[in-house]
Amino acid sequence: MNRAVYLDYAATTPVDPRVAAAMAQCLTADGEFGNPSSMSHDYGDAAADLVEKARARVAASVGASPGEIIWTSGATEANNLAIFGVAQYYREHGRHIVTARTEHKAVLDPCRELERRGWRVTYLIPDRGGVIDPAQVAAALQPDTVLVSLMHVNNEIGVIQDIASVGAICARHGSARLHVDAAQSVGKLGVDFAHLGVDLMSLSAHKAYGPKGIGALIVSRRGRGETRRPEREPVQLAALHFGGGQERGLRAGTLATHQVVGMGLAFELAHESWAPEAERIAELRERLWRGLAAHGGAIRNGDPERSVAHLINVSFEDVEGESLLAAVRPRLAVSTGSACTSALAEPSYVLRALGRDDRLSESSLRFGLGRFTTPSDIDTAVAVVGLALAHLRKVGGTCGA
Amino acid sequence: MSYSELTLRYFTADAFAGVLSGPDTHRGAAGSRAQGTWVQFDVKADVKAGSGTIAAARFLAFGCPHTIAVSAWIAAHAVGLALRPALPVSVAELSERFDVPVEKRGRLLIIEDAWIAAMKMPGLAQ
Repeated sequence: MNRAVYLDYAATTPVDPRVAAAMAQCLTADGEFGNPSSMSHDYGDAAADLVEKARARVAASVGASPGEIIWTSGATEANNLAIFGVAQYYREHGRHIVTARTEHKAVLDPCRELERRGWRVTYLIPDRGGVIDPAQVAAALQPDTVLVSLMHVNNEIGVIQDIASVGAICARHGSARLHVDAAQSVGKLGVDFAHLGVDLMSLSAHKAYGPKGIGALIVSRRGRGETRRPEREPVQLAALHFGGGQERGLRAGTLATHQVVGMGLAFELAHESWAPEAERIAELRERLWRGLAAHGGAIRNGDPERSVAHLINVSFEDVEGESLLAAVRPRLAVSTGSACTSALAEPSYVLRALGRDDRLSESSLRFGLGRFTTPSDIDTAVAVVGLALAHLRKVGGTCGA
Repeated sequence: MSYSELTLRYFTADAFAGVLSGPDTHRGAAGSRAQGTWVQFDVKADVKAGSGTIAAARFLAFGCPHTIAVSAWIAAHAVGLALRPALPVSVAELSERFDVPVEKRGRLLIIEDAWIAAMKMPGLAQ
């Protein structure tokens, strides 16, 4: 049986075969399977060397220093460590946080939990294109703001936020630290941690052809005298895990050498290839959009001038979202705008924040293009969606049936 | 969300989708597109035979796969049935037959309302 065309690279990517091979070398008796924390023998030293090599690779790919990389289980854990870690450490300085309604749940849910614990959170509303104006951040800052958390690239619509401008605003404010969820950024565009003015940045391996179960939080160690923020000390975090003291005491637990190695190589490969890859994929994305638009009643979500090449989100008029996904599913692997947390789908809160009504928010498809996407895949997707729309519009009585 | 084989078969079938016209045709609809579920049935009564049966039925449905599948099944199985203001099989039986999740069973009531509305014909006992 032919597998469906995979266009859900924003959800996850297949592991690059070179990455898988490097990971396999860390698993078996003839490879580097040692505990990287074991300093009493060569097995441990060899594993530790691989971990540090991977740390350097990740750091180099995002413009950070190796000592700033804290391994985590993924971007969700990194987001939790950043948000709860800052909130806890700076709780005597202030209890106000700024974020946006279009953030990932891995940011919104920790913020809501902090609200339950007494913190105040300002949720910024983007414009209809999904863009947060840095001036909104400036206006939301209060004397007791300790954290601003904004994603670099939105996971549903692909819109890129102006992080550098927000970083400058936070620097001027003084006490507001800037955390950026960059899970969707690596491999899609250049990421330069040191020059974005960011204090904390969450990364994920599996969005960039690395393995699931590994990510990192970049914690700036730059003394403010060394950067354009001379008035502030490097960001501090309270740890959430205890037991072993690994990762500067911020994330206890034995490191998974194979996962770390996989992330290091995946990020190095992504850093080397993102620019030509993005150019090729942008052409495929426009080919996809032209094909979908020709079916009629297609509305592109998110500002296309401010979006990564790899993602396009389209709402379709006159069809119901769950049925649209069910109709394309046998031949096309994409995501819907609905959050199917139960049998009843809920409209995408991201699209609702952009001003889409419930129907258009539900009847959207997110197409994530990637390294292995071909023009033939795009043509198949256009045809499959076209057939689904024709069927649903016929049974729904909106095509003159 | 996964669907039963029966649900998928009728969800993708459109042989009985559409509208009917002419004498002895009756239309009923329920729900709203804005609310996410809307169903319409057209039913043609077999008056020549004087038997009080359904000669043809068509459906239109905007909604989830279960809504479309159940509506399509009803239209497909209506011919020859007696004209009466009730579904061919009960909502409970449809729910079980199509493996409709409990959260969605209210949508079957919208289908039932549309069917009963189509059966509101002069001279037909309500």
